[in-house]
Amino acid sequence: MSAAIVSPFSLLDLAIAALSLVATLWIGLRVKRYIGTIEDYLVANRGMGLYVGAASLLSTEVGIITYMYQAQFGFVAGFSAFVTGLITLAVCLFVGRTGFVITRLREMQILTVPEYFEKRYGRGVRVLAGVLMALGGSLNLGIFPIIEARFLGVVTGIPSEYLGWTMAALLLVALAYTALGGMVSLIVTNYVQYVFLAAGTLIVTLVCLREVGWGGMVSAVEGHMGGHGMNPIEDLGVGFILWQILLWIALMTVWQSVAMRTFSTKDAAVGKKMFTLTGFLFLGRALIPMAWGIAALAFFWGRSVPVLAPSAPTRSAQIEALDRALGETFRRDLDEGRLERALPQLDLLEQLAREEKAQDPKAARFEDSAREKRSEMGLLAMPWMLAATLPSGLLGLVVAGMLAASISTYAGYFLGWSSIIAQDIVAPLARKELTSAARLRLTRVTVVGLTVFIMIWSLVYDLPGPAYFYLQVTANLFMAPTLIVVVGGLYWRRASETGAVLSFLLGAVTSLTYLVPQLQLDVATAGNLSWALAVAGFVVGSLLFPQRARA
Amino acid sequence: MSWALFWLVVFVAAFSAFTLISLVIAVRGVAEIRELFTALDEERRRKKP
Repeated sequence: MSAAIVSPFSLLDLAIAALSLVATLWIGLRVKRYIGTIEDYLVANRGMGLYVGAASLLSTEVGIITYMYQAQFGFVAGFSAFVTGLITLAVCLFVGRTGFVITRLREMQILTVPEYFEKRYGRGVRVLAGVLMALGGSLNLGIFPIIEARFLGVVTGIPSEYLGWTMAALLLVALAYTALGGMVSLIVTNYVQYVFLAAGTLIVTLVCLREVGWGGMVSAVEGHMGGHGMNPIEDLGVGFILWQILLWIALMTVWQSVAMRTFSTKDAAVGKKMFTLTGFLFLGRALIPMAWGIAALAFFWGRSVPVLAPSAPTRSAQIEALDRALGETFRRDLDEGRLERALPQLDLLEQLAREEKAQDPKAARFEDSAREKRSEMGLLAMPWMLAATLPSGLLGLVVAGMLAASISTYAGYFLGWSSIIAQDIVAPLARKELTSAARLRLTRVTVVGLTVFIMIWSLVYDLPGPAYFYLQVTANLFMAPTLIVVVGGLYWRRASETGAVLSFLLGAVTSLTYLVPQLQLDVATAGNLSWALAVAGFVVGSLLFPQRARA
Repeated sequence: MSWALFWLVVFVAAFSAFTLISLVIAVRGVAEIRELFTALDEERRRKKP
């Protein structure tokens, strides 16, 4: 009989985590006095050095949610998932060596990516891009608290009724220093947070290796993934790999929170070096938590007991009985950390349904059901393993690292998306030119508004499916057209406003096809289609309606 | 080379690089933050009438 996992999170751990939060807030608020202009606020007067730049970039792009979905990917795809880390490294090295896009944007002394669109295409494209970015970015950020609350609930044992308040407190800490200190606060706090984050990451990795070892991880993947989990080309497909390459080029060049770090560097050369250095950190950002997910798989498989198929007259009846039994216990097992009980049941259900669907196509739905449950389990397996293995004291340090990762992400995204709303939607639509002081006030008010929206969204929104799916939809709303329109604008003389508008509309609408189940498009197909149509719209629109000379 | 060995090499390289670069950032970042504050202070003084 498997036992529920109880987190050993103690007062000592709470004190360590709380102390790290207080220190972050104190440091973040102390540097407010350096803010005078909108340039200080949004890009730290373009004075960021290489090492704090790398720390700031990684702290912003690593939150608890990053650890969770990367671990989930490792849990369900095994070592094949590692290929995305190699793609990230290759993209960072490419951008760092060539300065592709980033050098030209940095030299223009702009504050946001859509600002470039106004210079190149016109105000309409800037506002359209701003609206899509703000919409996609805010919705993307809106589910972070929901997912991260689940991590904190498992690892700290905080009762579910207090999780909402815990997340609200974290958001308020990020809000306080971001709204007052802007990028200067972010750079300094990101540095401190990076130290916590890196320490937490190293501790967890060493614990994983101690608990299951590399050999245990390999055995778990080879023994329980039905021949999958090693070869990414066979498991994930060329289409997925191609789409990831495109997506990562976009993320590293025009994703607002990343672009703001580029704009904040001392010069374009520092920007390029920052990407080369960060490439290796981004490799770790992917592979290390994916390895935690694989370690969690090995950990719970190591504790499991094989199950037998229920006795029933036919294979179909066996599958139905197994699915019913799983339905009765799965939710409770997941909530109490009894994954070793649910895992073999899921494995058997998936295996029986896969074998049966050749004779009875209806069995395919049980295979899908087992996969969905496995995906859900993958999200929580890593936190449950941490709760089961980390001793008190060390747990506090890891939670402090995770909170640092989380708050730095909120702060970075608050500033990134609010700068888009203020600079690229409200300010261009205002009837008169806003002063630097007015823009600063407007951005601060937008940071507060965005925080309120996220708090409300995370309370009322019910995630319809896997987090990874939702995050891809919301990011794809604007990622493909943004990169295409930036690259086209920089390197193609015939690029026009009509082409840019068509690219944004087609790219955004195609991304939303993920949400239409009747179309049955998988993530890679819809993602690649979004890129293809955004390119087609841009080229056709530009050729048919060339850019008119601007007054 | 088997896939298992390949992923082991990649993981060891990634973990080592992460650890090493994190140490370098922790040490050299402090000086850069000091430089940033100095530059911002100078900029503020320069802009004051």
